[in-house]
Amino acid sequence: MELTSGARVGVVGGGPAGSLSAYFLLDLARQTGIELTVELFEPRDFSLTGPPGCNMCGGVISESLMQKMAAEGIVLPKALMLDAIDSYVLHTDSGSAAIRPLHEEMRIVSIFRGAGPQGAESQRPLPWSSFDQHLLEMAKGLGARHVPRRVRRLEREPDGRLRIHLLPLKGENPDQDTLFGVYDLLIGCVGLNGSGVRLFEELDFGYRPPKSDRAWVAELYMGAEEVRRRLGNAMHIFLLDVPGMKFAALTPKGHYATFILLGEGVNEAVAREVCHSPAVRELFPEGWETPVRPCHCQPRINIGPPVQPFADRVVLVGDCASSRLYKDGIGAAYRMAKACALTAVTRGVSGADFRAGYWPACQEMDQDNRLGHLLFSMDGLLRHLPPFRRAMLTVIREEQSASADPRRLSSALWDTFTGSAAYRDIFRRAAHPVIVWRLFLALLRALWSGSR
Amino acid sequence: MLFDSEKPSLGREYAPGEVILREGETGDCLYVILEGQVEVVVDDGGEESYRLAVLEKDGFFGEMSLFSDLPRVATVRALGPVRVMTVDKRGLLRWLGDDPSLSMRIMLKMVERIRLLVSEVVRLRRALREQKSLP
Repeated sequence: MELTSGARVGVVGGGPAGSLSAYFLLDLARQTGIELTVELFEPRDFSLTGPPGCNMCGGVISESLMQKMAAEGIVLPKALMLDAIDSYVLHTDSGSAAIRPLHEEMRIVSIFRGAGPQGAESQRPLPWSSFDQHLLEMAKGLGARHVPRRVRRLEREPDGRLRIHLLPLKGENPDQDTLFGVYDLLIGCVGLNGSGVRLFEELDFGYRPPKSDRAWVAELYMGAEEVRRRLGNAMHIFLLDVPGMKFAALTPKGHYATFILLGEGVNEAVAREVCHSPAVRELFPEGWETPVRPCHCQPRINIGPPVQPFADRVVLVGDCASSRLYKDGIGAAYRMAKACALTAVTRGVSGADFRAGYWPACQEMDQDNRLGHLLFSMDGLLRHLPPFRRAMLTVIREEQSASADPRRLSSALWDTFTGSAAYRDIFRRAAHPVIVWRLFLALLRALWSGSR
Repeated sequence: MLFDSEKPSLGREYAPGEVILREGETGDCLYVILEGQVEVVVDDGGEESYRLAVLEKDGFFGEMSLFSDLPRVATVRALGPVRVMTVDKRGLLRWLGDDPSLSMRIMLKMVERIRLLVSEVVRLRRALREQKSLP
């Protein structure tokens, strides 16, 4: 069951996983002399501001993804990059510490997935471009055809190929036959936020979506000067003792500061509590009030492995399959789209081919996420102990002031925040005896000063 | 970036003529050109260094030191203002293991450079032969 010239591939969903799957598939097919027809179904218009044009995410491109794309020859245009980030500042209830890498360059950027937050349309012509639109254009540049329609139903033909039926447009007869085409391979990149996963569950090959939770993302308009003055070129991370919260961040993004909140069952009340904490308020302009209803969303995020994300001629990629826990979702989509395309072009498109070529990449990511869960659980326990928070800040400050030091804790935290390394690497470094010893000494000092 | 031209942007900026990497040094990263042009030069014992190539946006250099511990064979310097981003050796080697198509891209670029070097050797030998035949 191989893709040969003339084969037709349908990609359902035009977020990063969909556009990159189409892009890599066409690129690898061209290199191997196969002529494919790739049709990408995405009804969303990324030139619109606010929810209609946005695929809902914090919009940070990780250091490892920027480097990987650069090595691949994919250099993002300037108009996509709202801000460049050169450092992280860790804020706790006990103080703050900046973490800077040893290299002197910017490798992390913030972007808008769509055309920007609701209300930004008043700034047209917009001085930025949509990241998702750019990836879609890259896929179209290699020959993918964009079908701006919503998929209604998927069916399997007697010969095993798959049929795509579309939802009728407004004004069309809702009872008419809506078959659009028959495909040799169907790639589902439907995320977790729409009804797309149901299309694939109903195909009945055993697929079940991953366990998910909700994040809270809001675009806070502060004006470019205030953003620069308050946040600088740093992403600000908050590890606060707020029930339900695992992690919060403020990211500079041009005129906006993007507020991201992760945790179990986070909602507006938790977001409000975090925004009113002294550590966060300190970064807001004086007298500035958090907008009552800023452009915000509560996207579902992948926190567990999927069940059976492939079968003969069908495979799921991105958030609806395997992704990285709490970080670098776009980087994970990039990696899995590449693994999917490589399998389809070099092995074939049967369930056995995806099991041999694509599934190991999913499993590796899912196994690594288990360690990520463990790391976040440990952090959750220790964060509620003020002396430990003070000890952690002390070690970071000591490392940052000693340029020749290996900066073990700083580098482990840098990789945790940037998504630059696998959780197993971070775990190994965080458990290094030198870090444990230095934290222990700092903890003793914190306990001693606390008791006095 | 979009809001202030003086605000630092992706990668690192080099001034015209500034050396980005130097012949003889050891290296542990690949450089990707985000903006501008660079020239690749070698010291051939003459008064001025010999220009091997000019590389532009999206091109990369420094890849040889990723695969060997030998010193850099050429100097690369900025021709006008240049912005480059580095790719760490450790990460790249890991990705190459996961992704054969990335290895292929780098190999193709190295093949292209070998072809250019071969044509340069042929050109120089031809010039030498013509010079020798002169009275």
